[in-house]
Amino acid sequence: MDNPLHPFELHNFAEISLFGLDISINKAVILMWIVVVLVATLMIRAAAGRKLVPGKLQNLAELFVEFIRGIILDTMGQDGMRFFPLIGSLFLFILFCNLLGLIPGSYTVTSQIVVTAVFALSVYALSIIVGFAVHGVKFLGILVPSGTPAWLLPLMIPIELISQLARPVSLAVRLFANMTAGHVTLAVLFSLTISGGLLIGWVPFAATLFIGGLEVFIAFIQAYIFSVLTCVYIGDALNLHGHEAHAH
Amino acid sequence: MSPSNDPFYAGFGQAVRIGTELLAAMIVGGGLGWLADTYLLPTQPWGLVVGLILGAAAGMLNAYRAAQRLK
Repeated sequence: MDNPLHPFELHNFAEISLFGLDISINKAVILMWIVVVLVATLMIRAAAGRKLVPGKLQNLAELFVEFIRGIILDTMGQDGMRFFPLIGSLFLFILFCNLLGLIPGSYTVTSQIVVTAVFALSVYALSIIVGFAVHGVKFLGILVPSGTPAWLLPLMIPIELISQLARPVSLAVRLFANMTAGHVTLAVLFSLTISGGLLIGWVPFAATLFIGGLEVFIAFIQAYIFSVLTCVYIGDALNLHGHEAHAH
Repeated sequence: MSPSNDPFYAGFGQAVRIGTELLAAMIVGGGLGWLADTYLLPTQPWGLVVGLILGAAAGMLNAYRAAQRLK
């Protein structure tokens, strides 16, 4: 049987190095370029017409804008709308990476932990920068939960520190693990289909249809949860100690 | 109704979130403890032990906070 991790191997098309930095071009890089071009043309085309009675593409774009706006208002309130471009492009990029990866023969960029970790770390760095920019040194108070008695501080500060540091890890690991697990499942089922032959091979094949549908759903959910958590983390930095306007 | 207010969609998203929350905090806690053991202090294996326990506590805290948002 084939190694089910085989689809995750990357081979360089062109070896390029810049000042000792390896910037070789491989399938993942090309796929990310495709996603950027695809998302950009789609949204620019959709925004070009701007008719009062929207066409199909504009309708889709408006649905998407309303969706992202809903997420931001739910988690950050009106204050968070200035992060709309960031959240919107993050959501679209991850969604398209996840979906394009489902096409046979292409590559799932988000199954590389390098990619998800870079996203998670930059989002987390942004939330810290926003926190210090808005609150100054008082932002360190995020390490002390409100209403903690003084004698508990030596215990609570390490716990809060770890729970803060766990944020980028959970963000990166969740996306990476979900995409990888889904593709390993599909790879195993397909190779079972081939080795099963006509007699019994249709059972795993039927399962691939089901898992394939599930994967499309997971692609949406993972893009959604990544953008929601980005909003939550930036929102936490904006409103220290959570006296935010809960718009529920 | 916007999709972000759809209870099924939002609820599924939250459910997916909580599991990794526990795992990530334990990775970070155990990792920090192990680093302290190996490179900073001659306390092997207590850094790892304490780090894992603190990490588990932090994971519970994160999961609790994530669940609080469900309301």
